[in-house]
Amino acid sequence: MGGELNSVMKDKKDVEVRFAFCFPDTYEVGMSHLGMKILYSALNTKDWLWCERVFAPWLDMEEQMRRAHVPLYALESGDSLEDFDIIAFTLQYEMSYTNVLNMLDLSGIPLLAKDRPSLEHLVVAGGPCVCNCEPLTDFVDLFFLGEGEEVDLEVCELYRACKREHRSKLEFLEQAAQIPGVYVPAFYEVTYHEDGTVQAITPTHGAPARVKKRLLLDMDQAFYPDKFVVPYLEIVHDRVVEEVFRGCIRGCRFCQAGFLYRPVREKSPEVVDAQCRALCESTGYDEITLSSLSTSDYSQLQPLLDRMTQWTKPGKVSISLPSLRVDGFDQDLLDKIKTVRRSGLTFAPEAGTQRLRDVINKNVTQEELLDTVTKAFRGGWSTIKLYFMIGLPTETLDDVRGIADLGQQVVDAYYACQDKPRGKGLKVTVSASAFIPKPFTPFQWEPQDTMEQMREKQKALSHAVHSRKITAHWHDASTSFIEAVFARGDRRLGPVLLEAHRLGCKMDGWEDGFSLEKWLTAFQNCGVDPAFYANRRRSFEEVLPWDHMDYGVRKEFLIAECKCAYAAQTTPNCREACSACGAAQYGGGICYADR
Amino acid sequence: MRTVRVWFSKTGRAIYISHLDLMRCMTRAARRARIPVWYTQGFNARAYMTFALPLSLGISGLKESMDLRLEHEMENAEVCARLDAALPPDIHVFAVTDPVMKPGAIAYASYQLKIPSPAPEAQCEQVRALFATDPLFVEKRSKHGPLQMNLHPELRDTTVSAAEDSLQIDALLAAGGNFNLNPSLLLQCIERALFPVPEVTIVRTGLWNADKKPFQ
Repeated sequence: MGGELNSVMKDKKDVEVRFAFCFPDTYEVGMSHLGMKILYSALNTKDWLWCERVFAPWLDMEEQMRRAHVPLYALESGDSLEDFDIIAFTLQYEMSYTNVLNMLDLSGIPLLAKDRPSLEHLVVAGGPCVCNCEPLTDFVDLFFLGEGEEVDLEVCELYRACKREHRSKLEFLEQAAQIPGVYVPAFYEVTYHEDGTVQAITPTHGAPARVKKRLLLDMDQAFYPDKFVVPYLEIVHDRVVEEVFRGCIRGCRFCQAGFLYRPVREKSPEVVDAQCRALCESTGYDEITLSSLSTSDYSQLQPLLDRMTQWTKPGKVSISLPSLRVDGFDQDLLDKIKTVRRSGLTFAPEAGTQRLRDVINKNVTQEELLDTVTKAFRGGWSTIKLYFMIGLPTETLDDVRGIADLGQQVVDAYYACQDKPRGKGLKVTVSASAFIPKPFTPFQWEPQDTMEQMREKQKALSHAVHSRKITAHWHDASTSFIEAVFARGDRRLGPVLLEAHRLGCKMDGWEDGFSLEKWLTAFQNCGVDPAFYANRRRSFEEVLPWDHMDYGVRKEFLIAECKCAYAAQTTPNCREACSACGAAQYGGGICYADR
Repeated sequence: MRTVRVWFSKTGRAIYISHLDLMRCMTRAARRARIPVWYTQGFNARAYMTFALPLSLGISGLKESMDLRLEHEMENAEVCARLDAALPPDIHVFAVTDPVMKPGAIAYASYQLKIPSPAPEAQCEQVRALFATDPLFVEKRSKHGPLQMNLHPELRDTTVSAAEDSLQIDALLAAGGNFNLNPSLLLQCIERALFPVPEVTIVRTGLWNADKKPFQ
């Protein structure tokens, strides 16, 4: 569905470079993605460039398209992807990789980079998964590391020049590889030891030995759209999304985003307020999300809310705060966010026992959680969701049962709370996802629990729940297993991906799409053992497939953090003290703030 | 506080916007346009908005109507201009009037159906003959499951004509809360008895009261 309000229309005769921004998932998911909104607007500020949106069709739509021989098209012009110069994918999660291949296939564009010899149909990708994009290197010509606002445009400028001068793809890629933040995988040779581990990663064609991520230092000056495309149909996050800061001060040891987006860089409350106002006016939305990895850690939250409620209250605009921390919650904040609408409250203790929360550096105590939920009960909330992970390093069955215990304590706190208003009755949901070790975290060397181990722990959790007020959910272990394989995979997974695509794997992030059976067949057909990637403990000395990627955080720091985890020792957050992770090399953000 | 009747068209790509999505779209447009819409006083305040007769998905509407309640005074012409400017391209507000009739007064809706045809003259005769059949049974979906009904008496104000490369049906069909006929029933009839009709365009041209006077 195109033709939405604020979508950008240009005359293709007037543009030199056509850029297809492809989100490898459905419209409802992709349209909710903030990065796409920012880059779509930023790229379209150039009159020689037209950035259009492309999404993966749902299974039934794809079937119809294939039957009627309709190629995948961009929503603005309705033109097939074949008509585009640059086909860009955003890689938000590993389970969308098969959709990348399927989308290329639906447009009739050759999947393998080597089968696209000319400059046209340059396939590029950005997003967090680029930190280890090795499984995709057979298919993608060029990757962007870090934040794309500047580097995407620099590459488009270079492409424009090369297209004008009729340069070859090789000439373009050689020049592009010199732009900081650009990774051209064809210019790196990877060799392997006999045991299957990586021996060396060697740059060629003058490419840098390590590619360093790009980032913006001054968030107040950074480009931010004053318009969002407003969809007709209801999308997942159907509201104004305003980013208040990038990065996270916390350093939870399982969290990839917490390390990839360092250092923390805040916007000033004046800028946030003005941007929210402009967006509400241009979109007509009556709801704002103040977005970040942990919004209650925004140092200016109170002044910001004071400023915003002056106009949001009379304008009947509600403000929601995602990613609330148990320890960042007080009565005043509670009153502010319930001014217009009230939904359930969600907290993420992540682990069931204090020992394990110390291992992962979550730095939240049981007292803080119970204290916070009691405040919430007093404030009239009675729906509480608690997020946990199972399969964390050093976890025992006692830790798993601790999840149910913590849920029970929340129930007990509800009944112990005397001065709560009468409500609909208590509902506590404990949701347990499977831990997936990710690159650039202190747990990047850890094995993932096998599917059998995970199922055993899930069973232990469900047996430990004794209250009818508690509902326990968990994620499917098999999806997490495949995700773990690709998160820390190497180039030998390229053929597996291609085989999985051939077998019909797509929409793997959805229950309707995922098939473990097909995936296992794909691994078998390619002679690749998935357990090598998911369930093997790596040594600190091993060359990791992503060692040529530089996200600012030093490997020695990650090793030290891993050792702290084994000792259940916590690390102070960036606001309390600097732990010298290495992000200070960017010369800005919280690393240089007064403490 | 007063109610205004907003007249709009919904054509082009917008025909694929469902009724629910249209309501959301109109609410947001009214906010962007800063029209002082009255909000319901419930816990989840909603903009007060009533559509006279929801339009089925895939059908263009030339003269659709929606009632808005204004909290403060704003002239009709200004409501019209502001709302139109705030809407996506394929939804167009062309008039705002004071309501004359109640939405419940709607009894008929007029439709124009265009069916591409290789032999318009011959097919025109076939369809005319078919529509003259009495009884002419079709299956109508209802709350209580499929229902067999005789379409013949409902086709008193329906004409069939032949154009250059298409067949045109102009129909005035019962509409409204009590008894509503979807123009696709006519197509169902043709497909069952005569020939397939794959690429029909359907346009709702207007709304009418029981005396077959335009809904105002």
